[in-house]
Amino acid sequence: MKGDVINVKVVVIGAGTMGSVHAEAYASMPGVELRGIVDPRLDVAQSLAEKLGSFSYSTLDSLLMAEDPDVVDVCVPTPFHKEYIVRAAKAGKHIISEKPLDRNLSDAEDSIRVCKEHNVRLFVGQVVRFFPEYRSIRQQIVQGKLGQVGTARTFRGGSFPSGSNDWYANSKLSGTIIVDLLIHDIDFLRWCFGDVERVYAKNLVAERNRLDHAYVSLKFQNGVIAHLEGTWSAPSGFSTAIEVAGDKGLITHNSDGSVPIHSAIRQQRSGVAAVEVPSSPMIHNPYFIELEHFIHCIRTGDVADVEPEDALAALKISLAAVRSAQSGEVVTLSQARGEK
Amino acid sequence: MKFAIFSFAHMHAYSYAQALQHIHDAQLTVVADSHEERGEAAARKFGATYYKDYQDALQYGDFDAVIVCSENVHHAEMVVAAAEAHKHILCEKPLATTIADANAMITACEKNDVKLQTAFPIRFSTPLQYVKKQIDSGSLGRILALTGTNRGQNPGGWFNDMQLSGGGAVLDHTVHVIDIMRWYIGSEIAEVYAEVDRRFSDSPVDDCGLLVMEFCNGVIASHDPSWSRPKTFPTWGDVTLRVTGTDGITLVNAFGQHYTQYDDELNMVRQVPWGDNPDLEMINGFIACITNNSSPLASGTDGMRAMEVALAAYESARIRRPVSLPLS
Ligand SMILES: NC(=O)c1ccc[n+]([C@@H]2O[C@H](COP(=O)([O-])OP(=O)(O)OC[C@H]3O[C@@H](n4cnc5c(N)ncnc54)[C@H](O)[C@@H]3O)[C@@H](O)[C@H]2O)c1
Repeated sequence: MKGDVINVKVVVIGAGTMGSVHAEAYASMPGVELRGIVDPRLDVAQSLAEKLGSFSYSTLDSLLMAEDPDVVDVCVPTPFHKEYIVRAAKAGKHIISEKPLDRNLSDAEDSIRVCKEHNVRLFVGQVVRFFPEYRSIRQQIVQGKLGQVGTARTFRGGSFPSGSNDWYANSKLSGTIIVDLLIHDIDFLRWCFGDVERVYAKNLVAERNRLDHAYVSLKFQNGVIAHLEGTWSAPSGFSTAIEVAGDKGLITHNSDGSVPIHSAIRQQRSGVAAVEVPSSPMIHNPYFIELEHFIHCIRTGDVADVEPEDALAALKISLAAVRSAQSGEVVTLSQARGEK
Repeated sequence: MKFAIFSFAHMHAYSYAQALQHIHDAQLTVVADSHEERGEAAARKFGATYYKDYQDALQYGDFDAVIVCSENVHHAEMVVAAAEAHKHILCEKPLATTIADANAMITACEKNDVKLQTAFPIRFSTPLQYVKKQIDSGSLGRILALTGTNRGQNPGGWFNDMQLSGGGAVLDHTVHVIDIMRWYIGSEIAEVYAEVDRRFSDSPVDDCGLLVMEFCNGVIASHDPSWSRPKTFPTWGDVTLRVTGTDGITLVNAFGQHYTQYDDELNMVRQVPWGDNPDLEMINGFIACITNNSSPLASGTDGMRAMEVALAAYESARIRRPVSLPLS
């Protein structure tokens, strides 16, 4: 850090799963001050703020009154993203929002437009672009190390996510497993292979007892065939996998298969069998790397590795997949644009 | 029991012939192959009598059952002729290249009261049979989704000649896993969507594809039949399934029982399988169904249903829409 750099002041809205991850990252990030955490569940905001040496507020307005942050980080459930993005933009704050940007195109486009109108930056946390293994795989693809890519496969999933008020269990709020979860792989594959020509999908939705499962087939304009699988129906755990096959080589990666540490710890006195705990420690987790990059872009005005238009494009493809799953038809993306 | 092998065009013929050597009361007595050099060499190697023309073998050869390993388009004529000569038949997959051929083969075998088994050795894989029991026991709950892969490398030769193979990777590598999926959940496929392309070579046939399917009972499924494994892949390919149920998930790799060998001599890393040999178990099963006069575990109809899904995948890729089954 240069001595004369002024600290960037950040506040986090939402103290749930992602809010905690973001707040912890800011609390340990050089050149950043975590100036407050907002959550209507004040006790949750309070205990997180206490842990990180910050302050808790029950509303954004009270926080904006007390602090003068540079950045508002939005980690509330997806249906509330736009409301906070718009309020922060109108207050002239830069915004970092968790993905998906929104659940439908018009709200997502509104958010982008309002940020432009108020001359503030908007960053969407398409975090897979910041996972070192995915970044490295993309590097090999764009450098042509795999030759011409023919097929790509991704897997992402685990047990059903738990959120405040169980909001993931309502597919209208989450946007479905495709919009909430598979958008990660959709965004990553688009980053690697460009625009998508057509989409076909099958989706067992949340209303079937928290056992969502989806397949998405993507045909890219460059000819690559991709297959994405997402599940929220596993009894436990979370894992991701990716495989990219080209005419000069093949890359396969499975998060379960690249864990450096496996420990089995005896449960003292409980008589319960030991549970195996895999760990994959890194100096900085991908969320930290992502948020640090966004802060850097705010400081410098640099173009980010993921701009809001990318998040919007990933949402478009995701929504085309949702539509395909609902209609049973193939959706071609020019058609999806036309329909909007 | 005395066996003939009709044609060594398909490389599996060699592993079936080897498997026969391990079966106490089975014997390979006849090899018929229109390719003289290949057929004679195989007959010599396995101690069988060689015929150039399979019709001659049927007329003069001494055998009870035949394994048909010719190019895909020749399965039909050989199977029908063998059935009419009252031989039991184990036919390499895909059973045929058209529904009409498959039907003719099934009918000929029924009419002549001989067994017709489709060579789906994966049905006899010990790990895959274990998962079948796991599903039937209900420990995974109700099945929601099945994800399959059967990738490999372009086998070269006649597999790339549409006139002999009837299709590329999608026909070659769809049928095994579809057969397993149908067997696992006891339901037929209602609808197939597929992307099919040629991305890995200049072959005139398709070398990759991805199928997304729905079964009549609502289970959703996908399958990857691509010849997408590079030359440096540590083994020939894979057969894997992820079975997602309401109470659990099982991942099975048919060839997961292997060790890794780093071989400086060959300058490669190899996976060496050590599990049970499914080819051997498949032929044992075939002999058992003849001896006990029972139905084969993978019948001619099973072979036809699996092939039909591959044909539907081609049709879907052509019209760019999902295709309903059965094909009319
Ligand atoms: N990038 C990732 O890997 C990843 C992972 C999980 C979730 N997410 C995304 O992060 C967002 C948050 O998900 P989560 O799992 O942390 O949810 P969560 O339910 O765990 O946390 C949300 C928090 O927001 C609070 N909240 C609810 N309504 C609010 C409102 N109107 N104003 C202020 N606070 C409010 C809740 O009290 C809760 O503490 C979602 O958009 C989700 O899709 C991203």
